[in-house]
Amino acid sequence: MQVDMSVNLLGLKLKNPVMPASGCFGFGKEYSKYYDLNKLGAIVVKATTQKARLGNPTPRVAEVTCGMLNSIGLANPGLDKVLSDELPWLKSYSLPVIVNVAGETVEEYCSVVDRISRSKLAHAIELNVSCPNVAQGGLSFGADSKVLSELLKRVRGVCSLPLIVKLSPNVTDIVEIGLAAQEAGADAISLINTLIGMKIDINTGRPVLARKVGGLSGPAIKPVAIRMVYQLADVLKLPIIGIGGIYTAEDVIEFIMAGASAVQIGTANFTNPMAMPDIIDDLERYMKEKGIKDLDQIRGCAL
Amino acid sequence: MILRVKKNLKLADAIWQMEIEGDFPYNKVQAGQFINIRVGQGHDHLLRRPISIAEVRQDEGYLTIVYRVVGQGTKWLSRLEPDMPLDILGPLGNGFTVEEGKYSLIVGGGIGIPPLYELAKRLSAKVDRLDIILGFRSEHDVFWIDRFKKLASVDLFTEDGSLGTKGFVTKGISEILADKERHIENIYACGPIGMLSAIKGLIGKLQIGGGASLEERMACGVGACYGCTCMTTNRESKRVCADGPVFSWQEVDL
Ligand SMILES: Cc1cc2nc3c(=O)[nH]c(=O)nc-3n(C[C@H](O)[C@H](O)[C@H](O)COP(=O)(O)OP(=O)(O)OC[C@H]3O[C@@H](n4cnc5c(N)ncnc54)[C@H](O)[C@@H]3O)c2cc1C
Ligand SMILES: Cc1cc2nc3c(=O)[nH]c(=O)nc-3n(C[C@H](O)[C@H](O)[C@H](O)COP(=O)(O)O)c2cc1C
Ligand code: FES
Repeated sequence: MQVDMSVNLLGLKLKNPVMPASGCFGFGKEYSKYYDLNKLGAIVVKATTQKARLGNPTPRVAEVTCGMLNSIGLANPGLDKVLSDELPWLKSYSLPVIVNVAGETVEEYCSVVDRISRSKLAHAIELNVSCPNVAQGGLSFGADSKVLSELLKRVRGVCSLPLIVKLSPNVTDIVEIGLAAQEAGADAISLINTLIGMKIDINTGRPVLARKVGGLSGPAIKPVAIRMVYQLADVLKLPIIGIGGIYTAEDVIEFIMAGASAVQIGTANFTNPMAMPDIIDDLERYMKEKGIKDLDQIRGCAL
Repeated sequence: MILRVKKNLKLADAIWQMEIEGDFPYNKVQAGQFINIRVGQGHDHLLRRPISIAEVRQDEGYLTIVYRVVGQGTKWLSRLEPDMPLDILGPLGNGFTVEEGKYSLIVGGGIGIPPLYELAKRLSAKVDRLDIILGFRSEHDVFWIDRFKKLASVDLFTEDGSLGTKGFVTKGISEILADKERHIENIYACGPIGMLSAIKGLIGKLQIGGGASLEERMACGVGACYGCTCMTTNRESKRVCADGPVFSWQEVDL
């Protein structure tokens, strides 16, 4: 049986629903030594900010049960270098390139999105709204539907590319936030970003991370992610990209059944650099075995 | 890649030596590079454990690591038996540059010593003069001294004086640097951060080559996550796993 894994997302043709999660794949160069990136459905690069960021002090990663914590702090080479040194290299691949954008002020988001939109080096923008909003005393843009709407309306004005809004799970009501994003002009939603967590070294009695708290990712967060994708798929018209703890083809199937159009894979790349190509092969095998001709056949079936 | 355990034996207090065999690009290894080892099963441990390559034996098709049991991952390693499979990535990172003809000094502290063995093997074949200074906490922690002694003269220090000279390795380095007869050109070091920054302090503005091998918490181990960064003297951030773990004394801020 021939199976069709392809996905049409925001007018972009993806060979399959699998792409890396931002921050877990750099700008692609490192993993290109392990396999041909053309195997992937799309590529999502590290968060890009106006100026280069060094990030938080180390240690800034820690292992926890079925997961990990990170407090990288959006370290990246800055917009100029990303445009000159990182994105042009990806042109040699026939892959949709999605650039993750972060900022501390509405102005920063707008100016980064504007220049990436006009660079012709990206096919879509993913807006990371989990960043602390300096004007609101550090509360994340994605934590308040009014602040989020305001940001999205301003970004929408300068963004000529499809706009994916990546939501934070650290909110009281994800449905309210999702609806606000849809209303304010998002073309798609991706979720979830990391949950805030902490680990204490019981030998020293001190938090392991220098910044004390960090974002929890990995299999530990998958049930939360499935629940949030499911809740949003139920009420939104927009396509949803599911993220959180994906390690196997079965995990991908679960997200698709919850209503996701595509998925992103983060932490699994660290455990196994071949995680994504392996999952893509397994997904094809799984679909053949179960007689699933294309993903539309099962998408959102749990709803 | 999947390799096999050849031998796994205890060397000293909580210190183990493992020989790993199988298909591996042995001929490509630089002294100071590391492998990233998957530990446990399923979702037991999502992050691999970085461990330095202590010796490569291309002729016999194996490599050796020396590791201290400090937590669950290294405890799991210590329980492995010959012929059991081991999932590793490597060789990773940038190792030490072996320069011909230079008067070289190797300085190692505790569990930082293993990668310096492969380095000492290569240097001893290429330089006219090689001195080695090794430091341990006490005689219970000492390993591989005989191996190093076959390659060059070894100055041994222990913090409690139970073996060799009492004190820190920096004592030995200061003496060598103060000696007008000895013109050290390269210092190669691996060990606790305090030791490395003390050495950098002693080097000061002297034009000394070689380099320091750093340790940092890692997630990907291949340069993709920016988890393991360190600072350079001109306030740039570098990834220990991909730009290091070895950095020049002038470049790294310690
Ligand atoms: C480049 C490099 C080379 C190394 N070479 C050696 C070696 O040759 N021999 C040796 O004994 N040790 C070496 N280490 C340290 C070794 O990686 C840790 O001791 C080991 O990861 C501890 O794992 P664990 O599960 O037993 O400890 P746990 O404390 O349970 O580990 C928890 C987490 O913290 C990380 N971690 C804990 N201690 C360290 C550390 N000191 N450095 C980096 N990550 C750490 C682990 O990788 C794991 O992700 C090296 C580290 C680096 C970065
Ligand atoms: C080390 C690390 C760095 C990350 N950096 C970013 C980032 O720059 N931008 C972003 O939107 N999300 C970032 N994330 C979040 C991931 O993209 C993803 O949402 C999260 O890790 C959950 O997926 P996972 O369980 O598959 O890792 C990062 C996650 C990790 C582990
Ligand atoms: S551990 Fe990921 S960049 Fe070094």
